[in-house]
Amino acid sequence: MFVSVIACVLLPRFQLMIAAGDRLELLREPVALAPAAASGSGTGAAQQVGEVSLAAEAFGIHPGMRLGEALARCPRLVLVPPDPAGVADFWERLLVRLESIGAAVEPERPGLVCFDVSGLLRLHGGIDGVIAVARRALRTPARFGVAPSRFAAVAAATRARVRRPEIVAGASGVRSERVDARAQARAYLAPLPVALLRARPMLADLPEPLERLGVKTLGELAAFSPMALADRFGKLGLVAHDLASGGDSALRPRPASEYLRESLELPEAVSGLQLERGLGLLIDRLIARRERRGRTIRAVVISAVLVEHGGTWREQVVFRDALADPVRMRLALAPHLALMPAPAEALRLAVERFGGPASDQRSLLQDPAAARAARLREAIRQARVAAGPDAALRVLEVDPDSRFPERRAVLAPFEG
Amino acid sequence: MSVVTGPRRLSIPRRVAVDAADDGSPKVVDSRIVDAVRESWLVEDRWWTDRPLRRRYWEVVTTCGRDEVVFQDLESGRWWRQR
Repeated sequence: MFVSVIACVLLPRFQLMIAAGDRLELLREPVALAPAAASGSGTGAAQQVGEVSLAAEAFGIHPGMRLGEALARCPRLVLVPPDPAGVADFWERLLVRLESIGAAVEPERPGLVCFDVSGLLRLHGGIDGVIAVARRALRTPARFGVAPSRFAAVAAATRARVRRPEIVAGASGVRSERVDARAQARAYLAPLPVALLRARPMLADLPEPLERLGVKTLGELAAFSPMALADRFGKLGLVAHDLASGGDSALRPRPASEYLRESLELPEAVSGLQLERGLGLLIDRLIARRERRGRTIRAVVISAVLVEHGGTWREQVVFRDALADPVRMRLALAPHLALMPAPAEALRLAVERFGGPASDQRSLLQDPAAARAARLREAIRQARVAAGPDAALRVLEVDPDSRFPERRAVLAPFEG
Repeated sequence: MSVVTGPRRLSIPRRVAVDAADDGSPKVVDSRIVDAVRESWLVEDRWWTDRPLRRRYWEVVTTCGRDEVVFQDLESGRWWRQR
């Protein structure tokens, strides 16, 4: 009988590499991801650097450090604007590739994902087989760690090399060997630094006070009594003690999702009303997509490529009610465009989660105009089934005041 | 994974054969002789980028009664029809 064996796939500095794009020579210098652009309520938030290069780590800079302290440690630190939309796109592609081999993935953050190997062992011929298949599916260099617990797997992945996965003893998946799997995970973690706790976002601030108290390794942390840690650090101390002792919570894989996206290249940088018109066009096209299959939309992601290499902007919007009405969607989404820090060169709208099927509730007294609109919608639906999504279109003004006629209007799906 | 399609724009310029006079005004548009020039205007945009747009527009009436709007791309020298 097989039990949980967790594999961790780590792509170090994933967000930094995506943000650097084709300027990879930058990564040899002390470089850090700049704090995300303040938007709305985040204006008063602490300015913290994101992922840092190896050269920046040599100065003692780490992700999450305050910007002022990072610049004090390394005055020539280069800040790269983050690319959240690019990161989300590429990360989603990698997750789908892992899911294609049968892995039920739980993404922790971009560049770090775990999945349970035990169900795949027979399918791919053991742990080595699973790693080989995952490596081929990813088509990008990654580090693999395998261990009985998620945290130990993450720790193993940080010690692995691209061509040499790190497999912790006790991660065979056989129940008879599972008896002391926790003890073996604890033994494996014991000499490792407490800084590894930063892999868990809720514990990101814990390593610093621990190090100040002289607790350097996870073994020293595990040697404390849980009560002493709870007394000093509260619930975080208990969680950290459990992780250092080889335990962890169960994996919660994400539900397999569909990827539906529409994008609009804007001929010139736009903002304000023109951007709202572009958003309206994207909403119409998204709702007209055949893959929606009459379902409502629960959550979407708006993203944009900003002008003058200003990086990207990304905002997730969860609707209060699952919607399939373009007018209500426009009302809900348009205010978010005001949070964009700069004009956009491209605008994208992606479905993150679908709701239930859309249904029309009939009124007691039938309104002739509504009945006519319903007949029109049905006719459009039938025309689309027969002739494709372009069977019914309408002219949508994108930039009616443009001096260039070809920029004024586009053809968008007709919504009755 | 879905296929992302681009928008279908309207009023896309199309190439047109134009014989122009020395002052740049069209004399013949698509083998039709120009009877009158109704209006002419200059449009410049994106001059701050690597791909500036400079167009000299002409609204003309041909002898067969057609009203045409053509422009010359001042960067490439080519003529286009736009309606």
